[in-house]
Amino acid sequence: MKKTINIPLGSQHISLLEPVRFKFECENEKIVGVDSDVGFVHRGVEKACTTRFKYDAVGYVVARVCGLCAITHSLSYTVAIEKLLNVEVTRKAKYLRILLLELDRVHSHMLCLSHTCESAGFEAMFMRIMGDRELIMEIQELVTGNRIQFDFISVGGVNRDVNHEVAKKILNNLDALKEKVLGYMDEFTNNWSLSLKFKGVGKLTLDDAYRFNAIGPLARASGLKIDVRNEIEYLPYGEIGYKMQTHSDGDINARNIVRLQEALNSIEMCANILAGVPEGEIVVKSKGKPNGESLVRFEAPRGELMYYVKGNATAMLDRVRIKTPTFSCIPAFSHVFLGSNYADAAAILASFDPCLSCTAK
Amino acid sequence: MFSSLLKAFANLFKKPQTIEYPLTPIEKDKEYRGLIEYGEESCIYCLKCEKVCPPGAILFIKTDNPSVNEKNKKSLLYNYNPYLCIYCGECVRACPKPHEALWQSNVKPSIAIKSDNVNSSWFELEKLHKKV
Repeated sequence: MKKTINIPLGSQHISLLEPVRFKFECENEKIVGVDSDVGFVHRGVEKACTTRFKYDAVGYVVARVCGLCAITHSLSYTVAIEKLLNVEVTRKAKYLRILLLELDRVHSHMLCLSHTCESAGFEAMFMRIMGDRELIMEIQELVTGNRIQFDFISVGGVNRDVNHEVAKKILNNLDALKEKVLGYMDEFTNNWSLSLKFKGVGKLTLDDAYRFNAIGPLARASGLKIDVRNEIEYLPYGEIGYKMQTHSDGDINARNIVRLQEALNSIEMCANILAGVPEGEIVVKSKGKPNGESLVRFEAPRGELMYYVKGNATAMLDRVRIKTPTFSCIPAFSHVFLGSNYADAAAILASFDPCLSCTAK
Repeated sequence: MFSSLLKAFANLFKKPQTIEYPLTPIEKDKEYRGLIEYGEESCIYCLKCEKVCPPGAILFIKTDNPSVNEKNKKSLLYNYNPYLCIYCGECVRACPKPHEALWQSNVKPSIAIKSDNVNSSWFELEKLHKKV
């Protein structure tokens, strides 16, 4: 007789933000097998990029792949096209691009942390973090004109400049937010519902992180020193005080702490950027049509995002390939579930911060 | 424990963090990206905005009773679909006369209802545009 029972989680589940289905094979409470399906929100974005939109409009199309990392998607695509057109953007445009990239990372990490709290049954903390996240959303609206869909980056530079008043408001909000993030740090390390409950749950060892090719905060929480910001030359991360944040435990608590430290580091970087934005134009004119192949990597809030673009000297592209962080992490996700209790599955999943609209695109 | 009790008590007398929305209107920043507005008398009918619009929310269609603008030699009429528009502002950046012929306001579009016939009337325009 079969000793295991199959329990599905999703595609619609109270703890899930987006549709994903995991099929757990359980032996009593222990999970012994995992099967996953991520394709519930497939919209055919890659096909649309090569058939319906010209190359200069695709930047706005790929920004709609995901609401949380919209800026990383449009930045990666735009840089890939700039490589093909041989456009050198100004240093000012690069600084403004990092500013938005880092603000995006802070609000994405805050969203993940609030959902981790919610999955631990700590509703009040969830409300608090979501309320404080508005500080970042306000800044984003001031800089780009919208809260989520920024449409800030275009081929050759950025669409808007940051004036003195906006910079002042950003610094005020960032200062206020820094205090709050330090407060969360205290809660996440000392509050029983958030730290002790999560310690030792959903553990990914350093060896496994390496073997299953984990990336982003998931890998850094296991002690794997991997971050695209450290590896690329394109954006001047070295100048603005980037520091890699790692942890050695590899459990849910470690992931939370890594996210908090990254948020703090990003806030610091944003302040440094505003202190030293160089003078110059924000847009450089580009000429010609993209021809050839280019491959670009950037660090999205969840890990490495890769874009491959192939042009054929016409307005329509031959191929746009998007490899998203959650997609690359699925083997590691599945491995973490093995051996843990079914009751923990929702909390473990929330700690991964999966983005399914990115993955299914 | 004591400090959290104190905090909880203090929170009772604090203002709520949320806005009481229908009673207090949400103030939009003046740089908020809203509807695209058009000044017919300054338009030079170069059709750049129509070409660059990513979703194709601006269409110039031939009409029988064109405006008196002398630049309008092909007797075209500007059509804008605020429900298709993504408010990226690409048209304003492409416009040779921004702030006069085409500019972005900070006004949100009104909510469309079925009787507005938003979709089918726009599809008709798209068909007319394809014929030309």
